[in-house]
Amino acid sequence: MATATEQWVLVEMVQALYEAPAYHLILEGILILWIIRLLFSKTYKLQERSDLTVKEKEELIEEWQPEPLVPPVPKDHPALNYNIVSGPPSHKTVVNGKECINFASFNFLGLLDNPRVKAAALASLKKYGVGTCGPRGFYGTFDVHLDLEDRLAKFMKTEEAIIYSYGFATIASAIPAYSKRGDIVFVDRAACFAIQKGLQASRSDIKLFKHNDMADLERLLKEQEIEDQKNPRKARVTRRFIVVEGLYMNTGTICPLPELVKLKYKYKARIFLEESLSFGVLGEHGRGVTEHYGINIDDIDLISANMENALASIGGFCCGRSFVIDHQRLSGQGYCFSASLPPLLAAAAIEALNIMEENPDSQTYFFHLGIFAVLKEKCGQIHKALQGISGLKVVGESLSPAFHLQLEESTGSREQDVRLLQEIVDQCMNRSIALTQARYLEKEEKCLPPPSIRVVVTVEQTEEELERAASTIKEVAQAVLL
Amino acid sequence: MNVGTAHSEVNPNTRVMNSRGIWLSYVLAIGLLHIVLLSIPFVSVPVVWTLTNLIHNMGMYIFLHTVKGTPFETPDQGKARLLTHWEQMDYGVQFTASRKFLTITPIVLYFLTSFYTKYDQIHFVLNTV
Repeated sequence: MATATEQWVLVEMVQALYEAPAYHLILEGILILWIIRLLFSKTYKLQERSDLTVKEKEELIEEWQPEPLVPPVPKDHPALNYNIVSGPPSHKTVVNGKECINFASFNFLGLLDNPRVKAAALASLKKYGVGTCGPRGFYGTFDVHLDLEDRLAKFMKTEEAIIYSYGFATIASAIPAYSKRGDIVFVDRAACFAIQKGLQASRSDIKLFKHNDMADLERLLKEQEIEDQKNPRKARVTRRFIVVEGLYMNTGTICPLPELVKLKYKYKARIFLEESLSFGVLGEHGRGVTEHYGINIDDIDLISANMENALASIGGFCCGRSFVIDHQRLSGQGYCFSASLPPLLAAAAIEALNIMEENPDSQTYFFHLGIFAVLKEKCGQIHKALQGISGLKVVGESLSPAFHLQLEESTGSREQDVRLLQEIVDQCMNRSIALTQARYLEKEEKCLPPPSIRVVVTVEQTEEELERAASTIKEVAQAVLL
Repeated sequence: MNVGTAHSEVNPNTRVMNSRGIWLSYVLAIGLLHIVLLSIPFVSVPVVWTLTNLIHNMGMYIFLHTVKGTPFETPDQGKARLLTHWEQMDYGVQFTASRKFLTITPIVLYFLTSFYTKYDQIHFVLNTV
């Protein structure tokens, strides 16, 4: 192929350079100049800060007034006047030196003081010591952790479970592990603070729907569908989630799970169910709101609960399909970067699970009801007893063991309401009924619920005690509010 | 950033073009492409140079300016999901060394191509476009 004229000898090539067309050479010249400019240009960031002159900077510094390090706080701020509990917060607690019946701790199944649980914890303490001194990936995984995960998965009838060492961090780590920037989360307005922090950490688009209002949620989902049709390529990569709680802590109501599952399949969103209050409470065997409604657990993509309520341990767990839960082992921030659950608490939780599975008959009832049925009865009883108090209304379903008493008519200012309710609580405490107000970080909550007294029913309270509590609250409310 | 060590680099994609030996590998890869094209028997040398230039430009365009996001999960909650690799490089700082290098190589390649095609007209059109 090489004829004499087509030989690529260097001399010939340089000759060709001289014969090159003019425009080409000019273009090359321009390009060389551009290279030189590039080589000498400085690196800079895209968003430049605005440059203030020295005089403007001085002015700004002059104007600045430092805020006090400690802002002025009223003397009766609740954080400054706390009640001191001596001993465990079990059925009969000693608050401020006075023995009261505990209507404030979330000890639904009475497992806090259970001798079997305590014995298991002590045995584990003798074997493992107190703490684990490491996260799960760094020699912090003990056989009790794997055991507990196994047992929880079997109890909830899911494929796998994962344990976190702090209940608040459970849902706050689980949400940002799956939902990122650009994803859409539909969440209830009455979601608890932990969920709100998880959503904030996830940086996704949050769409709030009215509490337990499925019509509102469907409206939002439809709007999102219309948006998706305008830009199908983007819609294919955005993930959609619905985050609900089984039993809401702020309102004591149950989420309408069957409708949610229908909406999930219609609009292709994933459901994250937070079962902190309903685990060990709802359902025939205590498996939570899915058992309560008889829904197949595979319909829910992720169930998250904390073990600090019914299970009387510390920490939390998530359970679901294997490939969902496995993702959290590397992406769950609370899992990877916090020390794991102390083994004695894991052993206590395993023993508590044993008790829950055995479902012992409790209290003196004629027919042998398990603890969950007994708890349901007691909730119903106290709900009925507390209806019709003048000035206070009961907020929450009759199935919920943690419900609220709110003022029927607010005085207009939140502080005044809080003070009134605190009066009621103090007087009840004098008559040895320990109650508490529901506390919120008022500036941080997205939808702040009205102030209320939170009443908790446990399996250990006898009928007489429930009646006594109801009548005490009635008398005190009459005295304070009228 | 070394592989396998703990680092605070949220998105490793930003530092890929700064890693050791990547510039050399890049130049060698272009050379390899050129040699492979040269070994096709019936194609003449200027066409090969033009082809190298074209394929290189198209490939870099796809990888740097078209494909968005990262091939791995990053702990930055998806901030880089909508950015191309060019935008991700060095966290958006302009005119860093890598960026300058990657801007200059197509130009140098263009020079070489023009040289070897003896400034022929058709080749010129193709290459400039």
